[in-house]
Amino acid sequence: MTNLLEINDLCVEFGPAGHAIKVLHNVNLSIAHGEAVGLVGESGSGKSITSLSVLRLLSEPPGRITSGKIVFEGRNLLDLPRSDMPAIRGREIAMIFQEPMSSLNPVMTIGAQLSEAIMLHSEQNESQRKKRILELLKLVGIPEPEARLKQYPHEFSGGMRQRVMIAMSLACDPKLLIADEPTTALDVTIQAQVLDLLRQLRERVGMAVLLISHDLGVVADVCDRVVVMYAGHVVEDADIASLFDNPKHPYTRGLLSAVPSLSDTRERLYQIPGSVPAPGSVKRGCPFYDRCDLRKDICNNEMPPLHAHSSTHKAACWVTSSDAEAVSQSGVTT
Amino acid sequence: MSAVDQVRVPQEPKFAGTIVKSVFFTPAGAIAVTVILLFAVIAIFAPWIAPHDPRAQSFLSVNAQPSSTYWLGTDQFGRDVLSRLIYGSRNSLIIGFLSPVFAALIGGTLGVLAGYFGGIIDRVVTRIIDMLMAFPELLLAILIAAALGGGFWNVVIVLTVAFTPGFARVARATTLSVKEEPYVEAAIAAGVRTPMIIVRHIVPNISAPIVVLLTLWTASAIRLEATLSFLGIGTQPPAASWGNIIREGLSNMFATSWPILTAGLAITIVVMAISIIGDTMRDALDPEIN
Repeated sequence: MTNLLEINDLCVEFGPAGHAIKVLHNVNLSIAHGEAVGLVGESGSGKSITSLSVLRLLSEPPGRITSGKIVFEGRNLLDLPRSDMPAIRGREIAMIFQEPMSSLNPVMTIGAQLSEAIMLHSEQNESQRKKRILELLKLVGIPEPEARLKQYPHEFSGGMRQRVMIAMSLACDPKLLIADEPTTALDVTIQAQVLDLLRQLRERVGMAVLLISHDLGVVADVCDRVVVMYAGHVVEDADIASLFDNPKHPYTRGLLSAVPSLSDTRERLYQIPGSVPAPGSVKRGCPFYDRCDLRKDICNNEMPPLHAHSSTHKAACWVTSSDAEAVSQSGVTT
Repeated sequence: MSAVDQVRVPQEPKFAGTIVKSVFFTPAGAIAVTVILLFAVIAIFAPWIAPHDPRAQSFLSVNAQPSSTYWLGTDQFGRDVLSRLIYGSRNSLIIGFLSPVFAALIGGTLGVLAGYFGGIIDRVVTRIIDMLMAFPELLLAILIAAALGGGFWNVVIVLTVAFTPGFARVARATTLSVKEEPYVEAAIAAGVRTPMIIVRHIVPNISAPIVVLLTLWTASAIRLEATLSFLGIGTQPPAASWGNIIREGLSNMFATSWPILTAGLAITIVVMAISIIGDTMRDALDPEIN
């Protein structure tokens, strides 16, 4: 079966040509039909840039996709004229953002906004649309949908607004939902409800999900597979069980040991020494070199390719690669 | 983990409708609105209200003092001052209303396009705005009026040109901030096309400051129309406007002072009332005051 979305060697840079700073280095990512993939990494690791590139929402300039392919259902989205993108946005690939408080237009009622979302991509009459809106609101668990329709966003709580956003994104039965930190701005109990909702919807509607998060717990809750990004590189790509049981990249190991647990007796939580290198500051070698406790000489000189440890587990590290064979040469320093 | 402190306090939406409504809930605003409505009714029903023909001259009663026939007396041609004031309110109010509305439409459109698309459109529009803004409104109005001559539509054109840059600037600035809002990005991501983004998501969200500006400049427009007419390049006699009633009254001030006093009072009352409405709306818009 071919994948729903396939991102191949995506490179993105920012700034004027000649002095451009590369923020995505040969990113590879694939999502199968109905699969939930988590994309994790620190702030500035390129998660959001990757997802914005898929919908061609990157602000250009200053951003620029310099090379690579984004193949969605056999079509390279980067080859399509810009004017074709609105037909794909929302209809084929929907997106929800991290700020539910301001992602709804404050001067339009919830009903009007949902109705707009439906009208964009399908021709239905007034009463069919109304029926669909009520169905969507019920689906995302909003009580008294009839009354809620006529209300404005400020009358909704954060969790409820995120539900409305999810309802809007489901309006046209997209094949892929990109959720960019959908729960970051919500408190923990609401976060759990929204994640439950995402998981249920995925089972019921059967759409694929790309969940962007910096929270491994959130990803473990919803996803089948995790892609870890660091400083614009994909450093590990694994199914959820392998990643948590047997992480192959020292950065992933660091992230996992930094997660506090209920049985923790540590005085201080683990912290990866140092900080993320500024974009563009790493000229060659592995971007994690300065912070890595396993580093070898080769790491400073050459970017490791993704090595396959099993059919579902790949990591870009020279040190742990001894038991694996290189599958991709695309990660080599450019 | 999720951070509770990142949750933003929900803010009541501030759009034109709310702002306009808020005016009626303050005593000063309610009185000002009543005054304006009263003047509007007088202007609309002028032919039925005016006791005399505003252009009818009577040489038998020149410079008459107020009497039961001529409530506010007559001017140097024996025309009824009250009737001229009533008909004059038509020119003053219609010009005062039309020119800011035209300016808001033209300036608003230019500003939104410049703010939304940026680039070369933005550069051209802002340069034109800067150029026009370099002249004070009155000076600009006098310059254009001197070139075009007087008359109703010329005054409207003059004032529209004078006010357009202000609206364009405000529309551009608010568009710049609104287009960065997550709901605009969300709408783009949902597949809404650019024209609909502008019409449904940008324009309603920048309407509040535009409406406030519209009111404040209606007052200025009435004042400027009077000034231009006073200088002889506005509404041309024998048509009446408050400005040219003052102009004609000035040379005849020592024979009868009623035309100057009453027309001046009418301008003062209307401009004050509109300014009060504008101030009330501006207060409603300002979150610091609420």
